[in-house]
Amino acid sequence: MLEVEGLSVSYGAVQALTDVSLSAAAGSTTAVLGANGAGKSSLLRAISGIAPIGAGCIRLDGQDVTRLSPQARARHGLAHAMEGRRLFRQMNVEENLRLAWSFGARSTPWAAALEDVYARFPILAQKSRIASGLLSGGQQQMVILSCTTIRSPRVLLLDEPSLGLAPLIVRQIYAFIAGFARDSGATVVIAEQMASIALQVADRGCALRRGRVALTGTATELLRGGLAATYL
Amino acid sequence: MDDFFFSLVLAGISVGAVYALVALGLNLTFWTTRALNFGQGSLMMLCAMLTVHLAAQGLALLLAVLGALFIIGGLGIFIERFAVRPALKGAGSMGWVVSTLGFGIFLQGVAAKWFGAQAVAFPDILFSAQDYVSVFGQYVSLQYLVVLLVAVALILLLELFVRKTVWGQAVHAVSLDPELAGVQGIPVRRIILGSFIASSLLAGVAGLLIAQIGGTVDPAFGFDLVLLGFVAAVFGGMGSSVGALVGGLVVGLTSKLVGGYISTAAEHAIAFALLMAMLALRPQGLFGRIEVSKA
Ligand SMILES: Nc1ncnc2c1ncn2[C@@H]1O[C@H](COP(=O)(O)OP(=O)(O)OP(=O)(O)O)[C@@H](O)[C@H]1O
Ligand SMILES: [Mg+2]
Repeated sequence: MLEVEGLSVSYGAVQALTDVSLSAAAGSTTAVLGANGAGKSSLLRAISGIAPIGAGCIRLDGQDVTRLSPQARARHGLAHAMEGRRLFRQMNVEENLRLAWSFGARSTPWAAALEDVYARFPILAQKSRIASGLLSGGQQQMVILSCTTIRSPRVLLLDEPSLGLAPLIVRQIYAFIAGFARDSGATVVIAEQMASIALQVADRGCALRRGRVALTGTATELLRGGLAATYL
Repeated sequence: MDDFFFSLVLAGISVGAVYALVALGLNLTFWTTRALNFGQGSLMMLCAMLTVHLAAQGLALLLAVLGALFIIGGLGIFIERFAVRPALKGAGSMGWVVSTLGFGIFLQGVAAKWFGAQAVAFPDILFSAQDYVSVFGQYVSLQYLVVLLVAVALILLLELFVRKTVWGQAVHAVSLDPELAGVQGIPVRRIILGSFIASSLLAGVAGLLIAQIGGTVDPAFGFDLVLLGFVAAVFGGMGSSVGALVGGLVVGLTSKLVGGYISTAAEHAIAFALLMAMLALRPQGLFGRIEVSKA
């Protein structure tokens, strides 16, 4: 369960978010939509504790975490796949996974958790000893997603998981996300520019425009309402 | 083997081991923050001074050493909090050069005020200067051997820690991408603080070892040591533990040999000549890694 209330974020003179509210239930998937610069990443970063929050509050499972450090929030069960394919590039695939698992909830033993990752993405088993920075974009995205899910998060934030990937890989990645959302009971929030893909797996959507919530609704409402034409 | 040469080599190896410890201490904070604690020289001095003075208060020598190290560790926290953290606020800021150096000079002043500016005799901790073992028919001071063993052991332990433990990996993660480390639940602040405490303790140990060899300590002691430790770190490759050891030994050996055969005035100059040659030929240092990346 994730609740955001009246959130404002500004970087010096640039006001990235103004009075944004959002509520996402456990077991649901929410798409955060919007054009370039709409504030999607700022919203996810504020939830994670790495963007400067001016006003408002953020609650995870009812607990106010607005003043907590990123690592404290992570220990409350938050996981965040950041924009820009962020992983520890010099470390190999398995080291990245191991580190993510070690500082996560550890609800599954390491061996089983690793086996599960390799069963879902067999290519990663072949690349397990390769520096993750040398993998292809799609393989990196698989590592990044697995690093978030291996922590057994209760709230999972994904920032443009499809960016720059071939359609086939995008489908594979989204199938993985949908599977995780279904099986884990976690709250999943996906920031995407490509509304049509994200709304296929999401239950609800929220469109941002210039840092404000412009529209919210169920995925079907948004898809039917021709949201793409009006807001993106 | 010629006795003079052998004694220079021995002296070079043991001071080199101390430079290696200083370089290792510089590496530790470089890993976590990309900042170097140039106050290390004064911490070396202060640790030795405090040991002498605590022992003079009637404390058992071992307790005096532990007490001094405890205070030095505390100063490590202070340096991180007040000299480095504020200086790192601005991205890419190099303010820590001045603030850590300044803090070192401040400590030097405080030490001179409290303990007086004269050199004081440093007690024998484990062995006295008269304890020798015989190696290849040559007498080797046990103090020199202890310095070398302590340095090598600490470097091995640190390498094992970084390579084999989860916390070591977490330190590596903080050095690569602190924001990502934080988002993954790694306690970034505590790791940074830990690196400053550990680096200060390394400086403290290095200070005790070198004071032990020299036999005396005064407030000015330590200043050129941190510079030479820095040369060793850059020569070996900033951030590399093996580089710190090799760099320390190379700097120690060449400066002692040059000092012995050419002129003691050239002792330190040759270290900086080595540094410049390395920077020209191989800027990342002997064991420095070039970053793996692919956009
Ligand atoms: N670190 C920063 N410093 C200054 N301005 C920033 C910073 N990060 C984001 N901004 C500004 O905040 C606004 C929102 O940016 P944000 O990255 O949240 O948008 P976005 O919706 O994720 O866009 P995109 O789809 O391009 O990733 C933009 O105007 C951007 O220029
Ligand atoms: Mg973005």
